[in-house]
This record gives sequence, structure tokens and C-alpha cells, in this order.
Amino acid sequence: MSRWLAEALAVAAKDLRAEFRTRVALNSLVLFALTTLAAVSYTIGPYRLSTEDRPFLLSVLLWIVIFFAALAGLDRSFVKEEESHTAPLLRLAAAPTVVWAGKLLYNLVLIMVLMAMLVPLFCVLMGFEIAMPWRFAAVLAAGGFGLAVTTTIIAAIIAQAMTRGALFSVLSLPLLLPLLIFLIQGTTAAATSDLDTYRESLRAILSMAGAMTIFSAFLFPVVWRD
Amino acid sequence: MNRVGMTLKWFLFVWMAGVIWAAFLWIPSAQGFKGESSRIVFFHVPTAWVATLAFLVSCIASGLYLWRREPKYDFAAAVSAGLGLLYAVLATVTGAVFAKIMWGAYWNWDPRQTSITILLLIYAAYLALRSAVDDPEKRATLAAVYSILAFVTVPFLMFIVPRIYFSLHPDVMTNADPDNNLDSAHLRVLLASLAGFTGLSVWLYSIGIRIEEIRYRRRQEVL
Amino acid sequence: MTDLTGIMAVTMTIWIGLFAYVYRLDRKVSRLED
Repeated sequence: MSRWLAEALAVAAKDLRAEFRTRVALNSLVLFALTTLAAVSYTIGPYRLSTEDRPFLLSVLLWIVIFFAALAGLDRSFVKEEESHTAPLLRLAAAPTVVWAGKLLYNLVLIMVLMAMLVPLFCVLMGFEIAMPWRFAAVLAAGGFGLAVTTTIIAAIIAQAMTRGALFSVLSLPLLLPLLIFLIQGTTAAATSDLDTYRESLRAILSMAGAMTIFSAFLFPVVWRD
Repeated sequence: MNRVGMTLKWFLFVWMAGVIWAAFLWIPSAQGFKGESSRIVFFHVPTAWVATLAFLVSCIASGLYLWRREPKYDFAAAVSAGLGLLYAVLATVTGAVFAKIMWGAYWNWDPRQTSITILLLIYAAYLALRSAVDDPEKRATLAAVYSILAFVTVPFLMFIVPRIYFSLHPDVMTNADPDNNLDSAHLRVLLASLAGFTGLSVWLYSIGIRIEEIRYRRRQEVL
Repeated sequence: MTDLTGIMAVTMTIWIGLFAYVYRLDRKVSRLED
């Protein structure tokens, strides 16, 4: 078990090391997020929205930025292996689930880095007041994980296809839309101290992320096998 | 085309023509519906039903393909997805028209409309994926995997979105298709329509499968 | 009321057209199979 974990961490570490050297995905993520945030902040800012609308609308905007940044930055996690011809080596070196776990970890770290940078900035610039900050963080973490799991398996799928640019987004969106709905509701609930809705939303988010994780773990070897 | 097949198809023609006539000219206006909007139900419910059924068939066929690796399961998955998309579009359109007449707006993201939209997106994504892969086995495999992933998200939509939605949007209409208010005449026409649409889909499905099998045979001959 | 007849006529036309199209398609596929 620990051997498996060590191998998965090794895969993730290799990817992260390469990523922090070239910062291709990170740049896409961060650039997209910052540009969108700037646009939103400039046009809407902290004063334009009425107090009652704020929690809901700001939640929506936050998650839109996170999601689109993720779609922009996370599509290449497997394509880059195919392109640099390191994929066959990876297939030999590690068991499929190890590769999956490693890539998942990699995507997760990227998303967490994005959120750590984006969320405080968003809250400050947009004047987003959160009534239950720890629960807010929990929604973010759960959402980030759901995002990571889904984008990992979809990235694996498109690496095997003749990727026409938008295919990654086209495939991810229907799977992520339900998650998005609950994330927005959960974030709004955390911002407005609505404990019941928060609990329901978090439960839904975690079950969706959990289901996606289990199925991805089983289906990834099928996709990865040549 | 054999005798039995031909008779069945002409029977279907007459049946559906009858349903159309009944839906518009035989059935009186229904209580509790604005204007003549109740008539749309005869076309909306069956198309929505077939769209969902097709999705189920596609997912099950995908699972079977991953298990058995027989091309016929891939054909089933692909054809039912195409059919499902068609019916989902029809269901969305008829539903929107109904919503406009009953509640004044074509679209208000009530739970059913949200669910059918996501179903449409899933179908479209599935077909986009299929068109992006050349190798038949790889295409079948990847499409099947995606189909199953999509299926995983659907239960959450069907059962959870409606419950949570109401706490945030109290003005959303609760009864998207009030078929529980229908009297016996309405019910009979609805069931007849359902049978007709199912028959039509079975026909379309079999044609689709035959086309796929011809393609497959042609490719095998070339190889 | 005549509105209804109108819509019915349109729907019936669509059905006839659709049936004819699918029937012809069926025939064509049958020919390809033989």
C-alpha cells in the first residue's frame, strides 16, 4: 500500500517539478483567473450589487472564474506525455492506478495553488463577506477536489483523441455542471450562515466527488491501456 | 423488406396519424391548463421518455462493450445516443413551448429544464468525442468510458437538484408536467402516443444498427 | 378552433414527411444489405 502511495507521489512530484520549471499550466490558470477577476472587479466592484444579491452573485462569479481557469489550464496533463513521447515509458514504469493517482494529485495541487491565490484576492476586491469562513474553505476544498478528479479522467480521454482544442471543455462541462450548481449553493450558504443548505450542498458535493473518484479509478486503466 | 415489417410500419403510420388527430381534434381542452397547452403534453412526455430511455440504453450498452468488447454493443451505444439527442431536442422544444403558454416564459431553469439541458450537453459531448477518434476500437472504448462517467452524474441531478432548488427559488413552478390530473380520455391518448413514439424509435434504432453493421462489414472486407 | 386544425394539419404534414423519409431510408438500407 505504501509502495503504491510512494509511486503515486513520485509521479505527482515529477509533474510538479516539471511544471514549476516551465509553468505552462500554472500560467494559463493564473493568467485567466487574474484577467477575469480584473474585468469583474473593474465593472462590478464592491459597490454595484445590492446587499441581498451579493452572496449569490459573488458565489457564482467566483466559481465561474475558478472553473474556466481550470478548463483553460488543466487540459494538457496527459497530452504532454503523448507529445513528448514519455507516455510509453510511464506505462512501463508504473501501474495504471498509480499514474492516475499521481496525475490527480498534480491537478489537485495546481487547483489549490490557484484557489489560494485567487480566493483572497476575489474576496478583497469584490467585498465578499463570508459569515462562516471555515465552512467556506471546506466547500472550496471539496469543490477543488471534485474539479481535479473530473479534469484528470477527461484529460486522459482527450489525450487519446485527435484533440480539437475545445474537446476538453466540451467533455468536462456536462460532468461539472451539476457540481457547479451545488458549489454555488454551498458557497452562498457559507456566506449567509445558512447551515441547512450548506450541509445539504456539501453532502451533495462530496458524494459527487466521491462517486467520480471511484469510477475514475476503475475506468482510468481502460483509457490508459494502449 | 418483408411482409410483416411492412405491415407493422404502415400500422405505425396510421396509429400516429390517429394520435395526432385525437390530440388536436378529439380531445377537448383540459382543465387547469392555459389555452390549448395540454395538447403539447401528448408529444412532450413521450419524447422526454424516449430521450431518457435512449440514454439508459446507451449507458448499459457502453458498460456491456467494456465488459465484452463486442462491436454490436458499441453500435447500440452510438445509435441510441444519436436517437436520444434527437428526442432530447424535441422534448426541450416542446417543453419550452408549453412553459411559454402556461407560465409566460420559454425558459426558467426549473429542475426538469435543467436536467434536460444537461442531458443534451452529455449527448452532444458524447457525439463530439466519437467524431474526434479515428480508430474504431479506441473510439468505442473512450466513448463507453465517457458514457459511464456521464451516467454517474445523472442520479445527482434527478433526485437532488429538485429538492435543493426549491429553497432558493420559491417562485419556480413545481409541476412541470401535471399528468396526474388527466382524465381517462387524456390518459388513453397519452399512452397511445407513448406507444407510437416507442414504436417509431424502435424502427429508427433498428435502421441505425443496420447501417452500423453495414459499415463494419465493409471495413472488415477492406482489411 | 380553426387554429387547432391548422396546427394539426402542420403536425400531420410533418409526420407524413418524416414517415416517408424513414421508409425510404429503410428501403435503401435493405438494398445495401442484399
